[in-house]
This record gives sequence, C-alpha cells and structure tokens, in this order.
Amino acid sequence: MFKEILRTEWNWSRYAVVVTVIAAFALPLVAIQPTGMASQSLYDTTAIMNLMSRYSPWFGGLAMLLGLVFATTTWGADHRGHHVYALTLPIPRSQYVIMRYGAGLLLLCAPLAAMWFGCLVASAAAQIPTGLQAYPYALSLRFALATVLAFSVFFAISAGTTRTAAYVLTALLVVGLGQVGINVFGLDRDVLGWILDRLVVWPGPLEIFTGDWKLIDV
Amino acid sequence: MDHAIQTNALRYRASKEFEIRDLALKVPVGSVYGFLGPNGSGKTTTIRLLLGQLRPAAGSISVLGYDVPDQTTQMLAHTGYVPERPHLYPSLTVGEAMQLHAAFFKSWDWSRAEELVTQFGLRRDQRIGRLSKGETGKAMMMLALAQAPSLLILDEPTDGLDPVARRDVLSALVEYVSGGDAAVFISSHLVHELERVCDWVGVLDKGQLISELPMETFKNGLKRLRVGSAPAHLDDPPFAVLAREGDGVSAHELWLVRGWQDPMHQYLASIGADLREVIDLDLEEGFVELLRTARTA
Repeated sequence: MFKEILRTEWNWSRYAVVVTVIAAFALPLVAIQPTGMASQSLYDTTAIMNLMSRYSPWFGGLAMLLGLVFATTTWGADHRGHHVYALTLPIPRSQYVIMRYGAGLLLLCAPLAAMWFGCLVASAAAQIPTGLQAYPYALSLRFALATVLAFSVFFAISAGTTRTAAYVLTALLVVGLGQVGINVFGLDRDVLGWILDRLVVWPGPLEIFTGDWKLIDV
Repeated sequence: MDHAIQTNALRYRASKEFEIRDLALKVPVGSVYGFLGPNGSGKTTTIRLLLGQLRPAAGSISVLGYDVPDQTTQMLAHTGYVPERPHLYPSLTVGEAMQLHAAFFKSWDWSRAEELVTQFGLRRDQRIGRLSKGETGKAMMMLALAQAPSLLILDEPTDGLDPVARRDVLSALVEYVSGGDAAVFISSHLVHELERVCDWVGVLDKGQLISELPMETFKNGLKRLRVGSAPAHLDDPPFAVLAREGDGVSAHELWLVRGWQDPMHQYLASIGADLREVIDLDLEEGFVELLRTARTA
C-alpha cells in the first residue's frame, strides 16, 4: 500500500523534486562565493562573514518553500476530488494520513540529500580563511530539521478542510485587526510583536528559520 | 444475513431546509436495487451515509452485516463504489490507477480487470484526466468490478454518458450480477434505465422513502384505470387507490391504483362503476405518478 501511495506522490511532485534538488544543491555553492576574495586578513575575514550572512534568509526560505510545495502537492489531488477516493479505501483515515505524510517525507529526502551534498562540495571547493571552518553537516542537519518542521506544519494545514483553512485565516485576521484596533485607541500594547516573538525567538517553534545560516563560520 | 443494506429510522440533517427522515431501507442480498428519486431528493446523501462518510443524527445502518460508521473500514473492503462525479486521480494512467486500487483491495482480480479494460476499450497508458466522460465512467466501473465486491454502490453511474457507453456499463453490471450473489445498489433519476436491470426498487423524495417493493410488483400492480359512473366513496376496495381525478375530457375519472389484478374488475361492477380501460404504466410513469400522489398526500 505504502509503495503505491509513494508512487502517486512521486507522480504529483516529481517536477518539484527535480527543481528543488537543483536549488538545494546550488544554494551552498552560491553562498560560499564570498570566500573567493579571502586573503587571510582579519578585515577580509569579517567582510566574508558579513557577505555570507546575506545568504542566511535563503536557507530558511528554501526550507519553508520545500515544506510548502511538498505538503500542498501531497494533498492537492485529494482536495480536487473532495477526498472521495481516499474515503472509500478500506483503511482507517489515520493510516492513510500517516502513509501520505511518510511518502512526503521520503520524497523530501532528495532535496535534503542534495543540500548535504552541495554543502560538502562547497566546503571542499572553498578557500577557507584561517580562523574559520566549514560546517557542512551542521548546516544540512539544520536545513533538514527546518524543512521537516515546515512540511509538518503545512501538511497539517493542507490536510484540513476549507473550513479549517478558514479558521486559521480568521484567527490571523482577528490578531491583525486586534493590533490595528489597539493602535487606533492608542494603547501601548504590541500583541502582534508578542506573538511573533513567541514563535520565532527561542524556544519558539519557528526559531530554527531565523538567525544565521552559515556554511563557514568561526 | 438477509439484507446487504439495512437502515433503521435513519435521520440526518444536511441543512435547515433538507433532512433524511426515518429512512428504513432493506436491500436483499443478491438483488439489484434501484434507488430512484428526483434531483435533490437525498440519494447521494443516503449513499454517503451508507459509506460511512457522514455520521447519522439518529438510527442505525448495517451494510454487509457491518455497523456503519463504526465498522466502515471492514465494510469498504467488500464494497465497490462508483460515485456521481469522477473521483480518480487525474494525473494517473489507467494502469497506475489499477495498481493503486489493487494494493488496497485483497479481493482484486487482475484477470477480470484486464478483461474489463479490453471490454470497455480502455488503454492502460491513458491518463485518467484525459479520458472522455464516458471513458472515465467506464474506468470507475472497471475498478469497482475488478475488486470483486459483495456489494456495489453506484451513484448515477450512467448520468451524462452517451448511449454506447451507457450500454457498455450496464451490460458489465448485469454480467457481474448474473455471475454471483453480489448485491447492487444503484441510484438514478434515469428511471427507464433501471427498468431492465433492477429487481427491487425504492423511491426517495424529499429525504423520505415513499415506496420500496420488488420491481415486478411495482410494475405490474401499478395501473391507471379509466372509470365511469364511479361512486364518491369506495367500500373496502381490493386494491389501493393512490389518486382519483377527472380525465379532463369526459365524465370519466382516472384512477391510479396499486395492487391491481384483472379479476378485480368484478369489484368495480359490483359498486356500479364502469371500467373503460386499464392502462399499463412503465416504471417511469409509475415513478412520476408515485411522486405526484405522495406530494399531494
């Protein structure tokens, strides 16, 4: 059963797999470009670190994009058919969802492996200044964790009905409008900022997407 | 188990305007049961209840001896389903859809599936999304039949199909039923189609079952009588008078009756009525009259 579920997901997401494999392999190679200007001076080392920081959002962004693309392609065909086919299969719904999740994760392994391989190649090719070192395993592991987290979140949202999506959007809208209302009445409360802090500042669940993503660091 | 499907006092509220009320279906094992009703009468909602996709507000559902929705998974392992709208994944080929389906149904019969692919003129490398409406209907029927189900639930399976595709689908259905004791529950508003394949019929209107009886009884017992000199009140007639109205042309009345047999003309003579004509109703006419009288009542 799982083999056939995997086959259907491959059928739906094979183009996404190819594109994301290329993107995941290329990103570390692009990110180490600043090391080409290395001349061992402390000034240049600092400049390289600053330049490499500019690529940080791309790693977090790619992880989020991978999660989103694979989660939506996992459920896309079922949504279009109003889940009728899946609901007439003789297995519990929970088992079906787990198989879909597992198949999505398995396909995600391709771009994650490409990122790991890209990090290894980039580390080997870079002229690393004295005092710095490459972290290909740490970066690719962090990328994998962030991607799995993004996939899990978007998978859960995508698995829901239109009503679920409406609830999520309504909750976001209420928070946004609430903040506008607070501002209009001149109250000194930053609810939106407080919520964002809880999400993206440690130990917030989305902290992994923020901060520096550097292949080469001190 | 006498009945492939049995519901008791089933109730489901779909909206403020519509609900299934006290539905008591009995589909005998080995029968081809035509589930008739006009559009919006609740046929698809009833089927979704039978398949465990909706949870009833009250009442009980037993399908193949399994309680639904609690034992839906076990029930689905023996039930083939062809929905009104295409439900297969459009990016798969016919062959891939067969492989996917076969993986979930232990009773899947590959040789039967290949026969049906040939019989329906399908190709295994055709994408489901690129099939015509008729071919999609055939592909869905092929998958449902090849899983060798004990119960086949078909929701308007021939709606929108051309006559050739319709004939192919119904022929395959008849062939399948004649080869075993599987039950078929087929919903449709295309009444004349069911006439030649069904041996039981249930009529649903506005969420209520207004009639359920063997097809022969339905067809043979339902007559329209043209009667003259009829008394206003009938004493204990041996048939059921469903409706009486003037024929609009003469002083005669048109009666819609159920349970009619030829010797009963003696009863009419005994009450001084003059039987002028006994008109046979086909299933479609019977269906329309039944709905009309039910709504009038």
